[in-house]
Amino acid sequence: MGLGPCIEKVVRGSGWKEKFKQLPDGKGIGLACSSYITGAGLPIYWNAMPHSGVQLKCDRGGGVTVFCGSTEIGQGSDSILAMIVAEVLGLDPLDVAVVTGDTDLTPVDLGSYSSRVTLMTGNACIQAAERAREIIARHAARKLEVPVGRVAFADARVFDVERPEHGVDFSTAVQLAEAVDGTVGTVGSYTPPRSAGRYRGAGVGPSPAYSYSACVAEVDVDPATGIVQVPRIWIAHDVGRAINATSVMGQIEGSVYMGLGEALMEEMAYRGNRNVVHKIPSLLEYKSPTTLEMCDVVTYVVEDPDPNGPFGAKECGQGPLLPVPPAVANAVYDAVGVRIDEVPITPEKVFKALRRKEKGEEPRYGPARFPDIPWPEATRVPPPWEGGDGSAVGPADRQGVGPQAAPAGPRP
Amino acid sequence: MLRLPSFTYLQPSTLKDALAMKSDAGPRGMYVAGGTDLYPNMKRRHQEPCTVISLMGVPELLRLEGWSVGTCVTLSTLSNLPTFQRSHSAVAQAARLVSTPLLRNMGTLGGNLCLDTRCNYYNQTYEWRKAIDFCMKKDGHICWVAPSSPRCWAVSSSDVAPVMVALAADYVLVGPHGERVVPAARFYHNDGINYLTKQADEVLVEVRLPAPDGWDAVYHKLRRRGSFDFPVLGVAAWVRWDGARVEDARVVLGGVASWPQEVPEAGAALRGTTLSAEAVAAAADAAYRPAKPMDNTDFDLSWRKQMTRVYVTRALAELGRRRGTTR
Repeated sequence: MGLGPCIEKVVRGSGWKEKFKQLPDGKGIGLACSSYITGAGLPIYWNAMPHSGVQLKCDRGGGVTVFCGSTEIGQGSDSILAMIVAEVLGLDPLDVAVVTGDTDLTPVDLGSYSSRVTLMTGNACIQAAERAREIIARHAARKLEVPVGRVAFADARVFDVERPEHGVDFSTAVQLAEAVDGTVGTVGSYTPPRSAGRYRGAGVGPSPAYSYSACVAEVDVDPATGIVQVPRIWIAHDVGRAINATSVMGQIEGSVYMGLGEALMEEMAYRGNRNVVHKIPSLLEYKSPTTLEMCDVVTYVVEDPDPNGPFGAKECGQGPLLPVPPAVANAVYDAVGVRIDEVPITPEKVFKALRRKEKGEEPRYGPARFPDIPWPEATRVPPPWEGGDGSAVGPADRQGVGPQAAPAGPRP
Repeated sequence: MLRLPSFTYLQPSTLKDALAMKSDAGPRGMYVAGGTDLYPNMKRRHQEPCTVISLMGVPELLRLEGWSVGTCVTLSTLSNLPTFQRSHSAVAQAARLVSTPLLRNMGTLGGNLCLDTRCNYYNQTYEWRKAIDFCMKKDGHICWVAPSSPRCWAVSSSDVAPVMVALAADYVLVGPHGERVVPAARFYHNDGINYLTKQADEVLVEVRLPAPDGWDAVYHKLRRRGSFDFPVLGVAAWVRWDGARVEDARVVLGGVASWPQEVPEAGAALRGTTLSAEAVAAAADAAYRPAKPMDNTDFDLSWRKQMTRVYVTRALAELGRRRGTTR
């Protein structure tokens, strides 16, 4: 679990120990941590099929094409497919063609949501690529007259790992396989491991892997107005393995931007007197940070490989935004001693909390009480060290109802 | 996507032609300069001219002579004029704080001075306005901000207008019946619909600024973001110094009413003082009381009202500091 190294990185990088509670009035620093799923354990619509499928074609010219239904929305998922195939087959990623996002041409992938694509299509992709490598290695081994276990793939060559100069071009190796067995094409797919939970509701929350983030935010609060400015954020994210490091950094920094907008501005406000009307139904008035509000970002990528991730990789597109709002809120508290328990942290709220503090009232702004909720009786699931097997103990109607028996799939 | 409706676009090259074209077009004709306010409004059907007459090719409107500025001078040009940065820095500063660099490259001084008043219930698409039923500013009868109000409370959102009122600039208007000169303060009405005293067929040709002569002025702007946003509060403060004492002063607020709201009590509180902390506090208090923001812009209205005091104090403090350094 890479949370510890994440915290160390941002604490050291920001000088948190020297700054916390020691900055001048109006300046503050705050720390927050978070964890996030890498895809949901159950499919978004209920079915027994894999969550992601990949087809791989190796043609006799040495070209490799990977087909997958995953959707590139700017997050870099196409590059992940190319890089994984290239890694397994010893090719340059730029020599791998990628066809995605078109179910006329590709097997199904459930979609770009839930921070699932790198892990799920990545694992499907590894399976397809390893199957192709196995076919090609078998024929290359015969040609090279070495045991198949000694066949290695690198630099677009297939060779004897003990005598690297003894080998053939990748394209020649594909031709050797195609001459005997016909067209070289493979498939791969991925389904997350089954949840250990066997109680009702166990399908909600499990993920093949969890990412970790830590964030330190520095703020300037104007006590006369309550206006909060965030000059700098330090963020560390345990991505397991950065398959495309540039893309990982971009995703983390983009997450900081999203988190900052959520922390400071983007409010879903409705008209008090006419609740159906959104108060700011346009992007002109729904304010997000501009380049002038965006803070400097110091980014640390922490790699603690996860056994369930492709080469250990986990998500990086949503997790790093989570610690940003609480880090900003903590920094505001460090700066002026008021707690804002509600996002966005707007100047009005900080101003009101400062007024309360002046009057000797509780120095906070936020919901006055937790809403009344008719909670059902709690489900108790004993952990393994108490001899639990994932089943609930308690009323009979709560026991032994696995997610597979549910009439409709719980929504991940 | 919002689309512009179709319209006839005319490009006169003289003021006389522009006036004649407007006369021919009648009430469905409108003048346009940079178009950064009118065209988005046309997309949302706030203004529905059949004929749009561009003033950008009329040479008189592009003139810069002494302290007179043609109204088609862009906000970028105005904010970057070295002479203005020295002698009329509040004008340059206000122009620089309008919207974004891209819009300042197109938007003009005249356009900002005649900016349509704004309101969260008005600056929405036609469909949105229709869905809640139209407001009195366009197509309807009610004010959604204050449903029992007989008047429209749309907000004056110009950055430069409060400065012009504070400086007591004169506006030169030319219409079919000739030229007239109107003091800036008398150019505006405190009414969200009839917010200008300008007649529809008149052209705002030129703004005559006072020569630099022992006075100083500043402009401070409150908005959500340091780029792009309209003011939710603007403070223009002007003083005429007599030695170390304030001979005369004016404080004008933007973004709190349908016109640039002068606060005479604030000016009076400063006269004869040295801009001492007490005098500034008295002026800020005087400005706080009449400021009546409505719930029709960004931010919470009570906070906006509170900020009047802070921003007036800061604007006057800057004037005091500048006095200290420029003597």
